[in-house]
Amino acid sequence: MAEAGVRKGLTKGLIKLTLILGIGFGLLFILGKALPAPTGDGYRVFPFIGSRDWIWIIAQLHLNFAAFVLGVPIFAVSMEFIGWRKSDGRLDRIAYDFTKLFTLAYTITAVIGSIFMVSLPILYPKFIDHMMKILGPTWWVYVAVMYVEVIVCYYYFYSWKKMSGTKGRHVAIGGLLNVMGVMMLLITSSWVGYMTTPAGVSDSGELISRWHAIKTYMWLPLSLHRLVANVVFGAGIAMAYAAFRFITSETDEDRAYYDWMGYTSAMISIGFSLILPGIGYLLGVEIYEYNEQMGIQLMGGFFAWLWVMQAILIGAILMCINYYLWISLAKMPGGERYYKYVKYLFIVMLLGYAVWLTPHSIALSLEEARKMGAYHPLLGNLGVMASKNTAVVITYLVTFMSFSIFKMSNKESVVSWAATGRALRIVIIAASTVSVLAIGVYSYMVSSHVRVRVLSPIQFGIFFLTIVALFILDKMMYKNARLIGEPRWGKMPERSQYALIGITVTFTWLMGMMGYMRAGARQYWHVYGIIKNTSADNYLPTHGVTAVIVSVLTVIFFLLIGLLFWTIMKLEKAYEKKGAQS
Amino acid sequence: MKSGVLKLLAVVIGINVFFAYIGWFFLPQSESRPPKTTKIEKGITRDELVTAGEGIVFGKGQCMTCHPMKPETGMRAPAISTIGADMVKSAKGCDTPPETFVFESLVNPGKYVEKGFDNMMPPVNKPPTSLSEGELIAVAAFLQSKGSNVTVSYPESVALLKAAIEKAEKQGGGK
Repeated sequence: MAEAGVRKGLTKGLIKLTLILGIGFGLLFILGKALPAPTGDGYRVFPFIGSRDWIWIIAQLHLNFAAFVLGVPIFAVSMEFIGWRKSDGRLDRIAYDFTKLFTLAYTITAVIGSIFMVSLPILYPKFIDHMMKILGPTWWVYVAVMYVEVIVCYYYFYSWKKMSGTKGRHVAIGGLLNVMGVMMLLITSSWVGYMTTPAGVSDSGELISRWHAIKTYMWLPLSLHRLVANVVFGAGIAMAYAAFRFITSETDEDRAYYDWMGYTSAMISIGFSLILPGIGYLLGVEIYEYNEQMGIQLMGGFFAWLWVMQAILIGAILMCINYYLWISLAKMPGGERYYKYVKYLFIVMLLGYAVWLTPHSIALSLEEARKMGAYHPLLGNLGVMASKNTAVVITYLVTFMSFSIFKMSNKESVVSWAATGRALRIVIIAASTVSVLAIGVYSYMVSSHVRVRVLSPIQFGIFFLTIVALFILDKMMYKNARLIGEPRWGKMPERSQYALIGITVTFTWLMGMMGYMRAGARQYWHVYGIIKNTSADNYLPTHGVTAVIVSVLTVIFFLLIGLLFWTIMKLEKAYEKKGAQS
Repeated sequence: MKSGVLKLLAVVIGINVFFAYIGWFFLPQSESRPPKTTKIEKGITRDELVTAGEGIVFGKGQCMTCHPMKPETGMRAPAISTIGADMVKSAKGCDTPPETFVFESLVNPGKYVEKGFDNMMPPVNKPPTSLSEGELIAVAAFLQSKGSNVTVSYPESVALLKAAIEKAEKQGGGK
C-alpha cells in the first residue's frame, strides 16, 4: 500500500482534504442561501429526526473517528520506536499495520467532520455566531493544524519503506504527527470547555478575554482525559481489527500474528485505561470547582442511573479482559498451574461489580423526596463514592493480578529468594487491599471535601504504588527465569476474539454515553449560564431514548469501521497480486 | 471468511441491542425539561408563599442537589428541616435582621457560610438558576418556615430583597 511515491501520496492527501473542505464550505454557502431563514430565536429543524438527534449522531461519529486517528498514532510511533531500538521486526510490522489503519481512517474522519461543520451553522446559526464571536480565531488555527497534520500523516505513512534505513528520523516524523494531534485535541477541547464551564465573557455573553474563554476549568482535564481515552480507544479498534483478522485468517501463521497483535493492543488499551478513572476524577473535581450544582447534577441528579449504566459497561469490559486473560492461560505452557486462582479472582470481581452498580440517588418526585429525604435510606449509604471508589480500585487490582499471572505463567523463578518473593507479593496485595478498604470505610466519616480531595486520591495512589511494586518485584524475581515453553500464539479459541470485540464495542458505547452526559451537564443551555437553548429539543430525553441513539450510532460506527477493515484487506490483496505478477 | 464476518456483525449488533434493552427497560424513564417559572402574584398569602417556595426548592432552584432534608453525616450543605431556626440563630450572631440574612444567603451565599461547610453555593438570582424576585421571596418564606416564623411577604419584601442584591453586586456577587 505504501509503495506509491511519497510525493504522490502527499498530493493525494492534500487534494482529498481540500476537496472535502471545499465541498463542505460550498454546501454551507448554498444551504445558507437556499434554506428558509432560521426561526426568530435562531434555529432550523432537521427533517424527521430533529436537529438535536442529527447533531448528536454526527458529532459522536466524528468524535469516535477523531479519537481513533489521534489515539492510534501515539502507540504506533511508540511501537516503531521500541521495534527500532530492539531490532524487532514484528513490532515494526504491527506499527505499520496500525499506521495503515489510521491513515485510511483520516478520510472518513474528514468526511464526517465536514458534515458536522455544515450541519451546526445551518441548524444552530445563533449559537454558532456566538461561538465564532468568542472563539472564532481558534477555528482557523484548527484548520491550519489539520492541514499540517494531514501532510505529516501521509508523509509518515508513505515514507515507511523508503526511510527504513533512517528509522530515527522516521520516528521523529511520527512524534511530530502526535504533536499535531495533541494540538487539535487541545483546540477542540477548548470549545467544549467553554460551552460547559464558560469564562472570559460577561453575563450577557460579551467577550472580555479570549484567553480566559479558552483556558476554562474544563479545558486541560478534559484534554488529558480525552488524550488517554483516545489511546485506550485507538488500541481498542486495533484490537478489534486483530480479532477480525484472526477470525477471518486462513493460515496458522496469520492467526499467530493477529493473536499476538490482539493481545498487545488489548494490553495497551487496558493498561492505559487504568489511569482513566484517576483523570476522570480530576475532571470531576474541576467541574465541582466550577459549579458544585453542576457537579452534583452530573454525578447524582438526573444522570445517577447512567452512572449505574457506566458501571455495567466498565464492569463488562473488565470482565471480558479478565476472561480473555484467563482463557489465554491455556496457550501458555505451565499456565494450568494458575487455573485454581481464577475462581477467587472471579468472586472478587463480582463483588466489586455489585457495589459499583449500586445507585446513590435516583430521580425523585416531590412526594418521594418529602418522604425519604434526599436519598434512599439503603442505597444512599451503599451507593456513594466512598464505596464505589473502593470497589473500582479493588476490581482494577484484580485485573492487574490476572495480567501478572498470565505474564509469569510460562516461567519459573530461579532466584534464591523466590519463596520470600512470593510471600512478599502476598503481603503487598493484602496490605494494599486492606488499606483501600479501610480508607473506603473511613471516607463515610469525613466531609466531602476531605473525601474528594484527600482520601480518594490516596486510594488511587495505593493502587498505582501496588502495581509499580508488583511490577518491580516480578521483574527481579523473573530475571533469567526458566522458560517452561514459548507462548503458543494463535492457539486460542475463537470465543477469546469475541471477548476482544466485545470490549471494543462496549468501550465505543461507553464513549457515546459519556459524551452525552458531558454535554447534558449543561442541561438547557448551549453555553452554560450564557446562551440558553430555547429550541424544541431543549430537554434531556429519557435514558431509554439515549440508549437507543447511542446503540444506533455505535452500530453505524462499526459498519464504517468494518468497511475500513475490508478496504485494507482488499488493498493488501491487490498489492500481493501485483507483487506476484511482477 | 464470510461466516466469520456474519458472526462478527451479529455480535456487534447483539451487544448494542442488549445495551439499548437495558437502557429502555431497566432504567427509570423520565425526561429532564427546563424548569417553569413560578408566578408569584400580588396578595399571595404567607402559606401560599411557603408552598410555592417548597416547589421551587425541589424544582427550579435545584436546592436538593446539595442540601439534604434531614441532617446526615458528611452532608455537603446545611439540612433544610431546621434551616429556619439555624438562620435566626446565625442572624442574631452577626446582628442582622432575619429577613436580610435569608435574602443575602440566597443572593450572596458566600457572605454567611456555616461552620463546617465550604463556600460552594452559587447566587441563585443569577444564571443558571435565575430565580425571579417573587421566586426568591417564596424560597425565603419556605426556608423560614423550617423552624422559625415566616416574616417575609410579597410584594412587601421586594425592597429589602433589592437592597440585598445591590449590596451583593457591590461586594462582587457572593462567590
